Amino acid sequence: MEKLSYVGKSVSRKDGPVKVSGRAEYTVDISLPGMLCGKVLRSPHPHARIVHIDTSKAERLRGVKAIVTAKDSLQIKHGFVQTGRYPADQYPIAVDRVRHVGEEIAGVAATDEWIADEALSLIEVEYELLPAVFDPEEAMKPDAPEIHPSHPKVMESFKNVGGKTETSWGDVEKAFSQSYLVREDRFVSHLRTHAYMEPQAIVASYDHSGKLNVWVSSMGTFLKRAKLANTLGLPFGNVRILKTYVGGAFGGKVDLFNHEYIASLLSMKCRLPVKIVYSREEVFKGARHGQPLIVELKTGVARDGTILGQQVRTINNSGGYRGSGVVIIFLAWGFLMAPYKIPNLKYEGYSVYTNSLVRCPQRGHGAPQMRFAVDSQLDMIAEQLQMDPLEIRLKNGRRPGDILPNKDSAKNFGLVQCLEEVTRRTGFVEKHRKAEEEKKNGSKIKRGVGIGVCSYFGGSLIYPNSSSVIVKLNDDGSVSLITGAVDLGQGAETVLSQIVAEEMSVPMEDIQVYAADTETTTMDIGSWISGLTWVTGNAAKKAAEEAMGKLLQVAAEKLDADINDLEAKNKEIFVKHAPDMKISYKDAIALSIQKNKGDTVIGIGHFRTMKDEPNHPSLATTKGRWTENYSSYAQVAEVEVDTETGVMKVLNVTTAHDCGFPINPMLVEGQIDGQVSMAQGHVLYEEVLEDKGAVINPSFLEYKIPCALDMVKTDYIDVITEEYKKGKHYDTKEVGEGYVAGTIAAVANALYNATGVRLNQTPFYPHKILEGLRQIEKKTTPKSRH
Amino acid sequence: MDKKSKRLITLTVNGQEYELATYPNRTLLEVLREDLSLKGAKEACEDGVCGACTVLLDGKPVRSCLLLAVEAQGGEITTIEGLSGNEKVHPIQQAFLDHGAVQCGYCTSGMVLTAKALLDANPKPSEEEVLTAISGNFCRCTGYNKIVKAISSVKTDREGGH
Repeated sequence: MEKLSYVGKSVSRKDGPVKVSGRAEYTVDISLPGMLCGKVLRSPHPHARIVHIDTSKAERLRGVKAIVTAKDSLQIKHGFVQTGRYPADQYPIAVDRVRHVGEEIAGVAATDEWIADEALSLIEVEYELLPAVFDPEEAMKPDAPEIHPSHPKVMESFKNVGGKTETSWGDVEKAFSQSYLVREDRFVSHLRTHAYMEPQAIVASYDHSGKLNVWVSSMGTFLKRAKLANTLGLPFGNVRILKTYVGGAFGGKVDLFNHEYIASLLSMKCRLPVKIVYSREEVFKGARHGQPLIVELKTGVARDGTILGQQVRTINNSGGYRGSGVVIIFLAWGFLMAPYKIPNLKYEGYSVYTNSLVRCPQRGHGAPQMRFAVDSQLDMIAEQLQMDPLEIRLKNGRRPGDILPNKDSAKNFGLVQCLEEVTRRTGFVEKHRKAEEEKKNGSKIKRGVGIGVCSYFGGSLIYPNSSSVIVKLNDDGSVSLITGAVDLGQGAETVLSQIVAEEMSVPMEDIQVYAADTETTTMDIGSWISGLTWVTGNAAKKAAEEAMGKLLQVAAEKLDADINDLEAKNKEIFVKHAPDMKISYKDAIALSIQKNKGDTVIGIGHFRTMKDEPNHPSLATTKGRWTENYSSYAQVAEVEVDTETGVMKVLNVTTAHDCGFPINPMLVEGQIDGQVSMAQGHVLYEEVLEDKGAVINPSFLEYKIPCALDMVKTDYIDVITEEYKKGKHYDTKEVGEGYVAGTIAAVANALYNATGVRLNQTPFYPHKILEGLRQIEKKTTPKSRH
Repeated sequence: MDKKSKRLITLTVNGQEYELATYPNRTLLEVLREDLSLKGAKEACEDGVCGACTVLLDGKPVRSCLLLAVEAQGGEITTIEGLSGNEKVHPIQQAFLDHGAVQCGYCTSGMVLTAKALLDANPKPSEEEVLTAISGNFCRCTGYNKIVKAISSVKTDREGGH
């Protein structure tokens, strides 16, 4: 294999020095002359008609510079999904009705926080309360209050169905009739949140030239620009989103949020910069959280454990608007069908409006919920068939080259190898067997192991999902890398620099990255949908190749050598067999300017997944190809359960991952560590609690996230299935999202292995484990007769 | 608020003495960020739980979001901006870079300063001691593994003469 100098190495982050020294400027740190404090008035009611809003008292308050309500707005709706089937359904400021507690009704800009707060309290809103519903299955009933009319294409008599995904292949009834064993189980995943450390934040500054400048904590600046410009009625060129550092996102900062629109509208009204920063309480009460999901799963297997058919029904609670609800019911199908072969399937997913907060993507977006269900049930089936959990997974896991039902290829799919390696490294089979034996001994502390798997699309085909990158040489031979990519902490700028460094033989420190500014950088889909390293990475690779090609051409002429005989190293180009014949990049650039009509050597690269396919697969039918790359992984969790208190600890998680080719193994490990930790929180104790649609635990005191004392030890096995070659297109796979799923499934199975308690609903609170233990005791203790 | 109610306080921040007029209800975090433009300390929870606002007061880590600026009167404060002195980075900061202990970076300032206080008091902490020391500094990105490795490596470096 070709020797690589920068790619494949655990190099230190490009943005590391500025972050460790406290100098990285996040949106919350932006301060502009004359900047006002913006605040949002929110609905205290889950469902109400707005009869009247009176802002006159607030307007008279000294220090108040602008107030906006729906009457200041163009009243153009927006939505996470905006397609013909699923048109936008949410106003950026409530017009005449609110559908969840916390819905944005008005915005205030004032000279300080206290005045802004006082102004909010002076706004008088008259509401006519409407009946509300919070449970999605209740909301589907014919007599439920109507939040929005059901989607016209949903034929059943359900109410409040915002969208449906429906697909099938084979003959599932026949498969069940031929099955040795058919199981039906219901799994419920709860409401949890991202807990990004930097709260939602925006600074909007509308200047006198008619331009709106925006700094916003986001996952994709081009997406924010498009949605802000559309709702504000501004040409895209009049909205500029500038780069800031982003203090974590995990799915929670994609899409346009109403407070961002409100800050912009306030600034446009008073022509002064307006800053809105959420308090943590506001993040809990007003921002979007992840997706609770009900998964009803019926599976038929042959005697040898081969899955013959599955019938699956999912129900999402999308909250007051569609949000990403219609996406998660589609994605959940994808996470169902990718890892294991399912010859016959019937799938129905419903996205249901309720009077809860709107939901948004959260790391994995459907994968944790679906894999928790499928891999829990597969362990139950294995036990009934007296198989071990590894054997049944090896039996069903997809092999490299398998063609998925949507015609995607699982080429180079590493799942089986991941399963084999992770179980070997952890001694899984032996530990699992031993725990089964020790379950019945008298010890109070039980240990167990469990396994979970997931497979994840990379850079899925959703518009625009493309990226352009510019590589510009400076006349000393250093490089400016221009990209629209957003570094959320995952290391986007570092991996893109590594690729350019490799392709151009330029040291990392000679690369300057200019990123995420919609005006001065190139369009990029952003850091979501798990495609950045692949999509933007290939664009960067092509841009570097083009620039390098120009340099080599100039060098070949100067050195009178064949271009194929040249090699580059450390900003010099030399003849392979005569290394003394060389030219520095600096001189080659000067020569290019002289000989090539002033060409200063710029390379441009573009990349889009599956260039010949239409824009995206159907959210309704799942038809259409999705992506070229599926990652896969297997994870083993080891847990300890105190059977007296019901407290479970996740001791360690070992991950075998097929992420294709890791550009930076240290960053890959960082992604896995973070997901294992997040999964531990989600499965053990993190839960956003609502009472009639209002969040009742809105702080880190009441919503615990893992701290250092909860640290789960991690170990990793890198199953490399792709190659990186200079000058060639390369394939790499997702690593930032799906491991939450594998870990949650593994922990669920480990709990069972340790104690015999099978929980079908997350989180696994101690009282639920204790209740499970009590149930087992009841069953095993013979009833005495009196 | 009535301007007359401002108090005059003296703070030494990163070796430099400041005389500041501030309202008594303002937190040290507000004064550092807004009056001195030292924005490395972050607000993330407003409850004193998450540690993103950690600075050192007379060498001890404090939650600057809970401490009123007037309470820090006369104190010597080190913020992340002052940690490395004239050096480019402090050995703890370097260890964070080398071990991949930084992702989004929002918690990093507080985490590094908590580590500084720990290592000053206990140059060779056990893993348990590291975990306990940083247990009040939340990080959502890293799962803490690489942070613990980074802090523990500084101990090793010290033995080698740092």
